[in-house]
Amino acid sequence: MGTGRVFWFSAFVIGYTYLGYPLLLAAWARLGTRLVHKADITATRNWPSISIIVAARNEGARLPGRLDNLLQLNYPGRREVIVVSDGSTDNTAAAVSRYHGRVRMVEIEPSGKARALNAGVAVATGDILLFADARQRFAANALVELVSNFADPQVGGVTGELILDAEGSDSGSTIGDGVGLYWTYEKWLRRNESAVWSTLGATGAIYAIRRNLWQPLPAETLLDDVLVPMRVVLSGQRVVFEERARAFDRASMDAASEVRRKTRTLSGNYQILAQEPRLCVPGVNPVWLQYMSHKVGRLFVPWALIGTFVTSAVLASSSWFFMMAFAAQVSFYALAALGAILDARDRRKHSTIPRVIAEGGRATSWSH
Amino acid sequence: MESLNKLARVAFTFVMMNYAAVAGLFALGRGRHVWK
Repeated sequence: MGTGRVFWFSAFVIGYTYLGYPLLLAAWARLGTRLVHKADITATRNWPSISIIVAARNEGARLPGRLDNLLQLNYPGRREVIVVSDGSTDNTAAAVSRYHGRVRMVEIEPSGKARALNAGVAVATGDILLFADARQRFAANALVELVSNFADPQVGGVTGELILDAEGSDSGSTIGDGVGLYWTYEKWLRRNESAVWSTLGATGAIYAIRRNLWQPLPAETLLDDVLVPMRVVLSGQRVVFEERARAFDRASMDAASEVRRKTRTLSGNYQILAQEPRLCVPGVNPVWLQYMSHKVGRLFVPWALIGTFVTSAVLASSSWFFMMAFAAQVSFYALAALGAILDARDRRKHSTIPRVIAEGGRATSWSH
Repeated sequence: MESLNKLARVAFTFVMMNYAAVAGLFALGRGRHVWK
């Protein structure tokens, strides 16, 4: 393949992933929205029973607030709360024991989130399984808004909306602002994918599925919040995005922890292709085009960025167009370098604020 | 100046996320040790 062709192919991959696909999706959603036949939350009497599963490791400090939140949420049906302690060595057991009779505790050897979820589901009795983390908080109506979607028999899973504090405002952190913006874009895609048929994943902080669609997770699973919903989709049902079921969290305050979290997420996206190769087969995966465009496209973009940079550098001396393309990319990376400087400055500024100490544990928390 | 800073923040986040996609591929082999 000639150098020019590599440039154009790489540019197409980047352009399609971040511009072409969103435009296609927006048009698709406009022309073919598939409504969800939700239950009327003010009139419904027969609410399904739900099991709320919180997998936690060393979350003793956060759990009391979290459990109070889960127990106080509006929900007319039967609910059970299960905390799976994944080899915790702090006061997690003591924190949960205060809720004796209202919260069920399962303790396992330290073996990762996937096994913790498997252990929680094994003892769950609800018709609906709802997965949550210890860190976030739910809005008062989150459960009813989430579960009302299951009145539609085509709905196998529902993901709620995670609100990051950095969205729509200045978080005081470079990466926090960037992540807030990225998350807003990501939710826009999710909203439209849901309208077309199904989202391609869920928010780990707040998602639910029908119990009969659960399949135990492989122990090494990195992204339960993509594998579980995609298995629901592969079974022929849809996973919808319910914006009124809200969870609240903070955006990462430093680039290092955000990159660690993102590396884990993208590593998980590669892993899922090996765990569920059916996702790559058109006709078998009902959302094949969306999955290839949104999830797999993102895996190719960094290589395409290298492709456009190197090829335009090679061709710059022979063409004004490629020289301009190369200059534009150099300017973009210079801008990113300025962003890195701003991030370093923000971190120095925030290192004097006690809040950062409280945020320190976030880097090792399970992802949202 | 403020809009330049905003653009710089977006560009930095975009580059970091793409770096994470490459790092994620290489991290997969040692995933259990890194993430468990």
